[in-house]
Amino acid sequence: MRYFQALWRNLFRREQVERELDEEIRAYMEMTGARGGIEQVKESVRDVRAGASLETLLQDVRYAVRTLARNRGFAAVAIGTLALGIGATTTMFTVVDGVLLKPLPYPEPERLAMLWERHIPHGELDTVAPANFYDWRAQSRSFAHMAAVDPYPDFILTGAGEPRRLAGAAVSYDLFRLFGVRMALGRDFVEAEDHPGRSQVVILSYAAFARYFGARADMVGRAMTLNSANYTIVGVLPRDFSLVTRASDFQGRGRFEVYTPLALASPPEAWQRGTHPLCVFARMKAGVTLARAQTDLDRIAGMLARLYPADDKERGIAAVPLGQRVVENVRTALVTLLAGVGMVFLIACANIANLLLTRAAARQREMSLRVALGASQARLARQLFTESMVLAAAGGALGVAMAIMGVPALVRRLPADLPRAAEIGVDWRVLAFTTVVALATGVLFGLVPLAPSLRTGVRSVAARQSRLRGALVVGQVAFALVLLTGAGVMAKSLLRLLAVAPGFRTDHILTARLSLPPRFTNGYKFGVGKHREISRFERDLVERVRDIPGVESAAFTAYLPLGGTDNSWAFTVEGRPPKPVGVYDVAHYRPVSGGYFETIGIPVMRGRGFNDRDTEDSLLVVAINESMARMFWGAADPIGQRLRFGGPQWRTIVGVMGDVRHAALGAQPKPEMYVPYAQVPNVEARPTIVVRTAVEPAGVLNALRRAVAETGPDVPMDEVATMKQLVYGSADESRFRTALLAAFAAMALMVASIGLYGVMSYVVSLRRREFGIRIAVGASRGAVLGLVLRQAGKLAALGIAIGLAAAAMLGRLIASLLYGVKPFDVATVAIVSAVLAIVALMASYLPARRAAQADPMDSLRYE
Amino acid sequence: MGAQSELLQGTLDLLILKSLTLEPLHGMGIARRIAQITNGTFEVKAGSLFPALHRMEEAGWLASSWGEAETNRRAKFYKLTAAGRKQLREESARWARISLAMASALQA
Repeated sequence: MRYFQALWRNLFRREQVERELDEEIRAYMEMTGARGGIEQVKESVRDVRAGASLETLLQDVRYAVRTLARNRGFAAVAIGTLALGIGATTTMFTVVDGVLLKPLPYPEPERLAMLWERHIPHGELDTVAPANFYDWRAQSRSFAHMAAVDPYPDFILTGAGEPRRLAGAAVSYDLFRLFGVRMALGRDFVEAEDHPGRSQVVILSYAAFARYFGARADMVGRAMTLNSANYTIVGVLPRDFSLVTRASDFQGRGRFEVYTPLALASPPEAWQRGTHPLCVFARMKAGVTLARAQTDLDRIAGMLARLYPADDKERGIAAVPLGQRVVENVRTALVTLLAGVGMVFLIACANIANLLLTRAAARQREMSLRVALGASQARLARQLFTESMVLAAAGGALGVAMAIMGVPALVRRLPADLPRAAEIGVDWRVLAFTTVVALATGVLFGLVPLAPSLRTGVRSVAARQSRLRGALVVGQVAFALVLLTGAGVMAKSLLRLLAVAPGFRTDHILTARLSLPPRFTNGYKFGVGKHREISRFERDLVERVRDIPGVESAAFTAYLPLGGTDNSWAFTVEGRPPKPVGVYDVAHYRPVSGGYFETIGIPVMRGRGFNDRDTEDSLLVVAINESMARMFWGAADPIGQRLRFGGPQWRTIVGVMGDVRHAALGAQPKPEMYVPYAQVPNVEARPTIVVRTAVEPAGVLNALRRAVAETGPDVPMDEVATMKQLVYGSADESRFRTALLAAFAAMALMVASIGLYGVMSYVVSLRRREFGIRIAVGASRGAVLGLVLRQAGKLAALGIAIGLAAAAMLGRLIASLLYGVKPFDVATVAIVSAVLAIVALMASYLPARRAAQADPMDSLRYE
Repeated sequence: MGAQSELLQGTLDLLILKSLTLEPLHGMGIARRIAQITNGTFEVKAGSLFPALHRMEEAGWLASSWGEAETNRRAKFYKLTAAGRKQLREESARWARISLAMASALQA
């Protein structure tokens, strides 16, 4: 018989095997006339046959399951607690894994990097000038591919129903090769298409292909009309492809629908070194390290600084691993949340450990008896171990089930701009994580009751158990305090954030984005536009909108605060000594229409805002914000001074405006300069219309749509939002993590208080007789109550002290997540400590009262 | 195991294999045959014999079948398989080498 056959028989033909064994041994005994010992002989055979250890294990498991089934209450509480803990931890881990840990969804992702211009004086990363990109690509030796993405071109699709704006990107022909992606349909761009005049081809995202062309394969090779020109559809990207990067890298426009070749002029024109629209991706050659690539880039930066000092003197090049770049600003938040849920889990584990200790104490007699009967301690240990493993396995399985249900629910609530959210899901990596967690808890719980019970004589067990329980409670309180502090400062930070005065009105404002078609612009290429046409359209539209009942005023801006878009220019002030070559003052730049300040409610601090008399033919004017005035004029009055940017003409400062929070509620105001739309040096093809209403802003939306359609039937309108929604969305991430952490902290508080209650109840039950005697010999009930509460208070105080120390140390790790509050905020810490102390006292009050009610007669009778 | 002398590891297996070279035997028969061929030096007890038999059967050296013992009682008979014979040859040779080596070592 071969081993596996034997194993099969032993495991699955058990009855037959046992019957034959019995008969065989019985026959032997009869023939030899020996007496007794049949069972021992059979047992010794069982011990050697195939699968013997497995059989013992199954036996232990069966025994454990039976034991647990007999103690249903205990099993339910332990498994339920474990399942909650493991489920919550697994759910959070799934998110962290999808966003932070999984390799990027491209082949050999460790060779991918993003390249940035680095502004040497302050180290900030900047997007890349087309001419610089051209030279980087030509001069570098470390990269298999280097490809640029211009994320700004928008295309107006006509000929397929209403005109629609498609989010577009102009990309180097080898961008998709760089990412190792193959087209789902059709072909990739070819090098010949990446030149001006030959680039009328597009690749569509699968979503756009399905949405606009019903995913009809025969559309590939046909033409579509974009910006009134014909483009040939050459390829369609696979359904699951997305350019993974930070939402902010593309000014919030990661979901491109249409790609065209970048088609840079070769060689590039001089002005293309002073504008910085490109995101650059690179794939390092196999075997090239990041450090070597960086050395290569440093050499190129040095060369460009010498050749083009005006533009590149202060610019280095930075290679950032793509994986790192993508998650840089969510890592802290996610790791904090995972740590938070981990702490809740540990607190819950402490409760289960306490339960197991209580059980072990109750079973002390059973264990002693079995040891006396000859069971080896190892055998008993194995059995307890098996029991805790069964608990852990059940908890783990339920936990996974919870995670499978919980993950989609959590994903729906994730902040909208979380990168890689599509990759979050329960997979083998998550299951491996859960298995490890469950096994670890199983081992831990197996050890806990052993620690005090199996070492030495029975007498000291109770004492040692008490100490262990005390330590568990102290740990629980400490963890709970850390969590409460974290949640407290985050909540305070969120409140501070929401209380920020953004510098403009947030109520009764409706915003929507318009896309001006080619008749208003010169294509999308940084060209000079048609100011007169734009001004006429803008005036017509604003007039119509103002006539809508419920509308108070309307105006345009190119970059709406909290809208996710921005732009800046270098400027010079008239009469000031010239800066060294390559050094500039930079301010954010905001083309707005007359009436904008009044509409959105930005106060005029000095001088005036813009009005209808600021036209393309009138004096060129500019308004600056308070930050800019303070930074560049100090106490002096800037009104009447002149500055210039984007062209040779001087612009006169006519007003100083209040500061606004543009990038985010929590971002400090930066210098800003406003220009009338009619006088901008270039065309901003996607203005936002801002409408102030007297009624609920959403109520005028339909009328606004009609007004736009009547004024410019070829002008698509999208990205409709009230200012309230934008403000709310701006605090999205902060709200998400605060809500989660607060939930964790609440769970921690609850579980820890249950733990304290359990331990104090146990202590009281152990000392019941003692309390009875104390009362019998004259102690007041109040004194006994105080005795118990003091003991609980000592544990809680120790836990709070340790928790405070830990919170002080861990605090700086979350400092970057906080706005306007220190990580170890004294007021918050004081409040949460008090809350924790009160809850701890409440949790121990019931057991204490029970102690105080101990009947002295019971104790005396017992003695 | 006999009190007379401790059985060396593997010796029991070898003795069982040897005892089965002539004919299939049941448990008691094997014990008797071993006592017989070792002139009573080894007296194998059930607690050693049966685990060894089952282990060797699972290893494929022995095959078993139920038959009738001399007392008209049903008993499980073991016989050598081809693998068992091969094992016996190899083990006998090894044993011969060892015992020769031991003998010469002790005389030296």
